[in-house]
Amino acid sequence: MKVSKLIAAVAVLTMPVLAFAGGSHGGGHGQATPIGEPGDASDVTRTIAVVMKDNYFEPEAVNVSPGETVRFSIVNEGRLVHEFNIGTPDMHEAHQAEMRMMVDHGVILGGKLNRDMMKMDMGNGHTMEHDDPNSVLLAPGESAEIVWTFTAQSNLEFACNVPGHYQSGMYGDVEFKANDDMQARVH
Amino acid sequence: MKASLVAASVACLLPMLASAGEYNLTVDRVEIDTGEFVKEGIGYNGSSPGPVLRFKEGEEVVINVTNNLDEMTSIHWHGLILPFRQDGVPGISFPGIKAGETFTYKFPIVQTGTYWFHSHSGFQEPDGAFGAIVIEPQGREPFRYDREYVVQLTDKHPHSGDRIMRNLKMMPDYYNRQQQTAGEFFSDISEYGFMNTLRDRLAWGGMRMMKADVEDVQGFVGMINGKSPDQNWTGLFEPGERIRLRFINSSAMTYFDVRIPGLEMTVVQADGNNVQPVNVDEFRIGVAETYDVIVRPREAQAYTIFAESMGRSGYARATLAPEEGMQAPVPEMREPSRLTMADMGGMHGMDHSDMSGMDHSGMPGMDHSGMAGMDHSGMSGMDHSSMSGMNQAAMANMEQASMSAMDHSNMAGMDHSGMVMSGSGASDPFYAEGSGLTPVAANGGKFLSYADLKAQSPLYDEREPTREIELRLTGNMERYSWSINGVKYEDSDPIRLQYGERVRFKFVNETMMTHPMHLHGMWSILDVGAGQWNPVKHTISVQPGTTVYMETEVDAPGQWAFHCHLSYHAASGMFRKVVVEGGPESSPAVAGEDAEQGGGA
Repeated sequence: MKVSKLIAAVAVLTMPVLAFAGGSHGGGHGQATPIGEPGDASDVTRTIAVVMKDNYFEPEAVNVSPGETVRFSIVNEGRLVHEFNIGTPDMHEAHQAEMRMMVDHGVILGGKLNRDMMKMDMGNGHTMEHDDPNSVLLAPGESAEIVWTFTAQSNLEFACNVPGHYQSGMYGDVEFKANDDMQARVH
Repeated sequence: MKASLVAASVACLLPMLASAGEYNLTVDRVEIDTGEFVKEGIGYNGSSPGPVLRFKEGEEVVINVTNNLDEMTSIHWHGLILPFRQDGVPGISFPGIKAGETFTYKFPIVQTGTYWFHSHSGFQEPDGAFGAIVIEPQGREPFRYDREYVVQLTDKHPHSGDRIMRNLKMMPDYYNRQQQTAGEFFSDISEYGFMNTLRDRLAWGGMRMMKADVEDVQGFVGMINGKSPDQNWTGLFEPGERIRLRFINSSAMTYFDVRIPGLEMTVVQADGNNVQPVNVDEFRIGVAETYDVIVRPREAQAYTIFAESMGRSGYARATLAPEEGMQAPVPEMREPSRLTMADMGGMHGMDHSDMSGMDHSGMPGMDHSGMAGMDHSGMSGMDHSSMSGMNQAAMANMEQASMSAMDHSNMAGMDHSGMVMSGSGASDPFYAEGSGLTPVAANGGKFLSYADLKAQSPLYDEREPTREIELRLTGNMERYSWSINGVKYEDSDPIRLQYGERVRFKFVNETMMTHPMHLHGMWSILDVGAGQWNPVKHTISVQPGTTVYMETEVDAPGQWAFHCHLSYHAASGMFRKVVVEGGPESSPAVAGEDAEQGGGA
């Protein structure tokens, strides 16, 4: 993935452009996974609005087709920090340990998100930056967009992995529908 | 066609029904079978515990309570915000319900969550007079689950409440089965030397306390939803479902440490108020508290809900399973904790002078295990040298394991001073440092602390309290006499509050027992240092040797009870009447109903 493409894919509107250097959480969000890939804005066929509340999403399910490129327009209307993350249940579980660390270090404090601390070098070349293209982390009132291409049918959820949020139900299902048009376009 | 019309008209009626529910409760003599003994007790609608009352936020409830006993009774709706005459405390809210009579409670439901109800007369509650309340919100819950169960705990004792109170008054250690023995005295001598052992025993004797006083009423059977460990209450589930468990501790005297081996629990509510979700492996539920947790068993197997008493003198057990009859292993109870000298840190007026020669390192029986975790030598690989200035005060319960590999040397300005280490070592800011009571998760994982509780959505705006009221929790164990500021209820003046003020209560526990303090009618905003996110509770546990603050928005006129919820502590004097002066619809204090029977929390 080229940096320019990533920036196009993840346009975070209300915060400074993230630096994409570094391994981020170092947590297996590689592109080889079946979750899809950052999409090209010109391929977007529709926009899905996702609202973050304390602590749930509206809507709690989205329908997509394999090959479809969707713009997720995400706004945090809650009073707490929330994440929107596209992944498999296993990926979410792995990511939760990283989010736990962000809470433990005060990066996420209820309704506050300390972005400066996220950039800090932990001494081993790692930072707590949250810059994977399949996710955004939003403080209350913030909004962001993710352009995402769903490549193949797989077991996907969009989830908030702030500790406890996923467990208490802040997730939604990505349901794949068979779409002949989409199939045609892919081929 | 006709059927659908009927259905339609029923649907039209539903909103009306939901906004004015009528409920009937009878107060009855019942039989309580613990498997180990069968005991006559008191229940509602023919059983103990009574039914789960399901209300809806915004509903106007009418509850007809018929007293089938041959004595007075009452029902207190624990944690519900309501007009004070509906609060059900004889001598404070109303005269009580006479034998054979029906009393009709009527109040609006202005909140949501898990609560309970119980008799506030004599020792009817320890004898079984309690049930659960579940209030559904008008909108959606801020979490999701596929099914839910009430898990109501109690400590059923073979003796009646009256008899237990008499025995405690006669001999305060009557029910203390874990006292240190003469044999222990001699084994301590061989280990610690004669003088150290003797000094230790003298020091404890001087406090009129015994080290095993974690629980002063032992010999109970832990029950869940009316079932003993052998009777094994079972909640069914389909693998992969999220289950909401509504834990309610309706015990007379017993704190429980609750875990479900193999399942992480996400705490979403405390005392009926939603909290920001916390993932835990275990939590301690104080008497009268409630905690709602969400669990997600993924495997088609049974899981044990295991609740051992804080003093390890008994346990309750239940099962979550895909099918009735399945069971999971039941863990052994852990070793009982012993109080330490730290737990008497708050005891004033004690002469410590004769302890000056004591070698604390050799203090027999003193449990330093809770402090072992304070040994920071395990952090030697971490270089915090260049950290200064970054306030990490909220960094509670950080797992050492996740830090061990981290080099923090480049993190300029980080202050870990407020960091509470968990993991193998027990540390909790709501316990005295070095306390023998500080809980540790059985699997070495996360044990819930009050410090973890943050309101999901603040109920009140934050503001400075108008004044502070100090309440010293006091007692004399040798006379089984419990009090507040050294004064028992019958000798006390009411605490007078002004409508509209915000009062900061300072609890100073000068005893060696944990006291779950319950203020009726108004919320207790527990100070965990989170400002506007401080959690809102109805019952606040104050551990030995600690000082705990809570604030109350005085927004409910009338007069209310305020007491320790340990039944025999309340009944022996750790109890106050609170009078709220002024305010809308201010009702004059009930005349001529002085508090001869406020006890029996």
